[in-house]
Formats: sequence, C-alpha cells, structure tokens
Amino acid sequence: MKNAPRDTNKNRNHTDSAETSLKGTFTSVLIIAVFMLISWFSVFILFLERN
Amino acid sequence: MAHINEAPILHKGVAVNDAAASGITSRDIRLSAANLSIAFIAIMVGGIAGLLQGLVRSGFLELPSWISYYALLTAHGVMFILVLTSFFSIGYLYAGTSRVLGGLADKTIAFGWAGFALMSVGTVMAAFFILTGNANVLYTFYTPMQAHPWFYVGLALIVVGILLNCVGMFITYQSWRKRNPGKLTPLFAFFANAVFVLWVFASLFIAVFVVGMVIPWAFGWVPTIDPMMGRTLFWAFGHTLVNIWMLTAISAWYVSMPKIIGGKVFSDSLARVAVVILVVANVPGGFHHQILDPGLSVELKFLHVIQTFMIIFPSLMTAFAMLATMERAGRAKGVRSLLGWWKTLPWSDARFFALIVAMFAFIPAGLGGIINASNQINQVVHNSIWVTGHLHLTVGTTVMLTFFGISYWLIPYLSGRRMTQTINRLAVIQTIVWAGGMLLMSGAMHINGLLGSPRRTANTTYNGSSAAADWAMYETLMAMGGVILVIGMALLLYIWAQLAFFAPKGDADFPIGEDYSPSDASPLFMDRWSIWVALATVSIAIAYVIPLIDFASGTNPGSPPFLMP
Ligand code: HEM
Ligand SMILES: [Cu+2]
Repeated sequence: MKNAPRDTNKNRNHTDSAETSLKGTFTSVLIIAVFMLISWFSVFILFLERN
Repeated sequence: MAHINEAPILHKGVAVNDAAASGITSRDIRLSAANLSIAFIAIMVGGIAGLLQGLVRSGFLELPSWISYYALLTAHGVMFILVLTSFFSIGYLYAGTSRVLGGLADKTIAFGWAGFALMSVGTVMAAFFILTGNANVLYTFYTPMQAHPWFYVGLALIVVGILLNCVGMFITYQSWRKRNPGKLTPLFAFFANAVFVLWVFASLFIAVFVVGMVIPWAFGWVPTIDPMMGRTLFWAFGHTLVNIWMLTAISAWYVSMPKIIGGKVFSDSLARVAVVILVVANVPGGFHHQILDPGLSVELKFLHVIQTFMIIFPSLMTAFAMLATMERAGRAKGVRSLLGWWKTLPWSDARFFALIVAMFAFIPAGLGGIINASNQINQVVHNSIWVTGHLHLTVGTTVMLTFFGISYWLIPYLSGRRMTQTINRLAVIQTIVWAGGMLLMSGAMHINGLLGSPRRTANTTYNGSSAAADWAMYETLMAMGGVILVIGMALLLYIWAQLAFFAPKGDADFPIGEDYSPSDASPLFMDRWSIWVALATVSIAIAYVIPLIDFASGTNPGSPPFLMP
C-alpha cells in the first residue's frame, strides 16, 4: 500500500485515506489518558491528606 | 460460523500463517484437552472457596471448626493463580501453536505429557495438604510460615512440569524455524514462545527457592530460613507470572481479535516489539510488591519502580494497537464519523464481546497497578483489600474474561463442534454476569481498601471500632458480587461442557488474523531469541544480583519455622 503510486487512481486514494484515518483511535486514547490522570491524582491527593 | 457477523475482508493482506496446515491432529487435541480439563476443575474449587470467603468476611457465614479461613484463601489463590492459569495457558498456547506451525513435534508431545503428569500430581498433592489444613500459608507461602513439607514438594512438581512444557514449546518452535529458513515465525507462535521464555525465567527463581531453601527447611534439615530471601525470590517469580498471563491474554487480542471482527492485525512489528519489551523488561520489578519491606535499599526500590513503569509502554502500545485495529475494521466498512466504528464491532459475538470487556477492564486494572507501584501512594493501599480488588480486575477480570473468550473458539476447535446461537447468547450473558459481579466485588474492595480494611483477614469487628464499622456496607456488596460471580462460574462451566461434549458437530476455526500491510512485517532478527534472552538476563542481573548477594552473605538472622494452625 505504501508503495502504490499516489496519483494513479484518485478514487482509490480517496478511500485509502478514509480507511487509514486513526482520528477515532487518537480520541479514544486521549479519553483513557484523562481517566488515568484523574484517578492517579485522586489517590495521590488522598496520600497527601493523610500525611 | 455463519451465524456470527463476520464482515467481508476488504484488504488484501498476507496471511500471517500461510505455512499453517488447517486442522489439528488428534494427538495435539488430546494434550490440549487434558490441560483444559484440569483448568475446569480448578475453577470449580477456586470459585467455591472464593464465595465462602466473601460470605465469611461480610459476616454472613461462620466456617465450621475443621476448616480455617486461611485454608480456603490458600486454596483460592493456588487454584486460580497457579493451577488454572498455567493449565489453561498451556492448553491454549499448544493448540494455537499447533494450528499456526502445522502441528506439534513428536518430542513436544512427549514433553507435554510428562509436564502434564508432573503438574497434575503436584496439584493433587498441594490441594490435599491445603484442604486438610496443613498448608495455611496462602499462595505466596511467605516464610517463616511453614506448611507440611510435602505441600512444597507438590509445588515443586508443578514448577518442574511447567519447565518440561517450556522445553516442549521450544522444540516445536525451533524445528519450524529450521524447516523454514528465512521466514518470519507466525505472530501467534512468537507470542507463545515468549510466554514460555518468561516461564523459564520465573520458574528458575521459584525452583531455587522451593527446592534449594524451603524444602530442606520444611523437612527440618536446616533450622532457619531468611524471610527476605523468600519474599524477594517469590516476587521475582510472582511478578513475572502476572506478565505471563497478560502476554497469554494479549496474544488473543493481537492475533485472533482482528480476524473475529473482520479486520487485520494492525502491525506485526508493533506487536513483536511489545512482546520483546515485556520479555526483556519485565522480570525486574518484583520489588513493587515489597515497597514497604525492610532490608532493601531505597535506591534498589527506586530502580525496580522504574523497571516496573517500563511495563506501561507495552500496555499503552497494546491499547493503541487494539483501538487502531478496531477503527480500521470499521473504516473498511465505510464508517466516516469520528467514533462511529465502535458501533460496527460484532458486539453480539461472544468471542469478541468477552475480549472487549476484558480490554475495558484492563483500563482501571492497569491504572490500579500504576497507583500500587508508585512509591508513596503505595502506602495508602499497601496490604489493604484494595490490592485484592486490583488483582480481581487484572487476573480475575481482564485475564479470565480473555481466557473465557478464547475458550469459545478453542473448545469447539478441539472438540470438532460449533457454538450454536443459544450457546453464543449464553456466553454473552456469562460475560455480563462475570464482569458485573467483578465490578461490584472489586469496586467494593477498592473502596474498603481506601477506608483501611486489610486484606487476608476473616470477619472481625476490631472490638467495635467505628472505622471498622464503616466497612460493613461494602463487605455486603462484596459478598453480593461473590454470589453473582459464582452464578457466572456455573454458567461458564455449563457452556464449556456443552462445547466439549454436546454441541452439534461443526468445524470451528481457531481465528488467526492477517497482516494489514505486508510492509509492517518485522525484520527477521526479531525471531532470534538468543538476543532477547541475553538482554533479559542482563536486566534481571541489574535488578537482582545486589540484593540476593546481600541476603546470601548471611547478615540477616534466619528464622525458625512458624506453624500455621
Ligand atoms: C468466583 C469468583 C471469585 C470470588 C467470589 C472471589 C473472592 C475473593 C475473596 C473474598 C478474596 C479474599 C480477600 C481477603 O481476605 O484478603 C479473594 C482473594 C483472592 N482472589 Fe478471588 N474471587 C473470585 C475469583 C478469583 C479469580 C478468578 C482469581 C484469579 C484468577 C482470583 C484471585 C484471587 C487472589 C490471588 C486472592 C488473594 C489471595 C491472598 O491474599 O492470598 N479470585 N477472592
Ligand atoms: Cu508485580
């Protein structure tokens, strides 16, 4: 796929970029990251309070 | 499996396993099936013990005087953690390897059966001494608590049996490489080999400990034992074991899940790099179980914490690869919106559903691990029932649900039957019940842990202390979760029996994904295990040589045995 000349077939190129889009993956990964940060810091705050 | 909505495959990739013969010989089937049947029994024993524990801790049940809470807890830990996971992994990895490498070698079959025999005898011995109250030392068997000496012999047999299975796997793997020079091994076989390499590392630690130290001490040949040595060697083993399960579980995520959803393996090289990081960087890190142990220097603990956090990389790589696999599968079906591809996944296919729920459980599970391993925060949760909540999310939910999902194709594949609509629906329900039960039980455990409730303790009111009174509500929730889980267990065992003996004949396949793009294939040197084994040895040496020499030089006073009633 990488080696396919980009301009030979416009239609194919079009589907290719739609098919290989990973925007949703990026969004999902960010959601996970936010969740992780919130949880870690909540327990960290608990630690600070109990110290 | 026409009833399961498999999307047409749109990409033309290269079959990862194009050398594989389809079908599996009956001698390979017998070996895997034997291993799975012990897993079946282990679930039953472990599950019943778990339910009783939950009921005792919440005060709903008082045990008769002939059995102690600790006998149950030991049975629960040993059956689930050591027995179930080992037998299941071997049954699964051997079958899958047979599938992608075109059958197991003759010698592999011999080693496999010898290993199976030793492991089974060891399991029966260990179970006997646990259930007769002669081994109330919990699955960690920390010294100087002492069990009946033959209990340890049972454990040693299990470990030696596992090592024989390792040899068996290496024989088939290497003989395939010899027969196929210049070819990359199939991704599944690469995973399987990695699991068994880790098993060798893990087993060596525990074998030295059990055979070299505990058994002579338990039989009374040597009077004392250094507890720190035991804790350190145990966790070098125990922590590696955790990643053995994870690696086994994610082999199905990386290799089989793409095929099930009608997609492709996102990247062969990403998968292999994740595997290699797990093999090289994982064994050191055991000290995160010993953050509050005396006798280990702060610098060493810091080193282990760093090595522990290296495991976050492969975990995040896996999260990314799974999401990307699913997004691409959806986009290939024409989905355009940002997150619309989530909807096109085959949610009603139990094989996928169990896996995706397992993946979701891994988010809080992995996160809990980061919290546990953070040096300071560890003090908030150390030895509290939070930790038990955490491990029910990791191994109890993520790994178990993945194993259940695997079994929905593995058992029909071995028994020559097929999953009917009804069984599939039941399996979806099973997944919901199990995940729901775990969510309730483990959630309650997490909260109670933060409120200070200790793990490994039967019911007590601590002389009416008000802090302990706060735990009561969550203990009840925990027990309710336990009841739900046992229903889930019964469902699972019913499904397994159906798939093995009663479902209609069919030709279920062992799903093996194809590469998304051939250019993502790994370079050949990835298959040279000598490199990874050498690197792993170096990283283990960095972490363990100093403390072990320190203990062995004998500055710590040894301890005589404490017998556990
Ligand atoms: C049938 C469902 C299950 C129930 C009701 C259950 C319940 C429990 C309870 C109540 C405890 C005791 C906590 C304590 O006193 O410290 C416990 C501990 C534990 N469970 Fe489970 N559990 C179940 C399934 C599992 C599974 C599937 C696994 C692993 C594969 C597992 C692994 C463990 C481990 C390792 C411990 C800690 C043992 C120890 O501290 O020595 N459990 N479980
Ligand atoms: Cu660990």
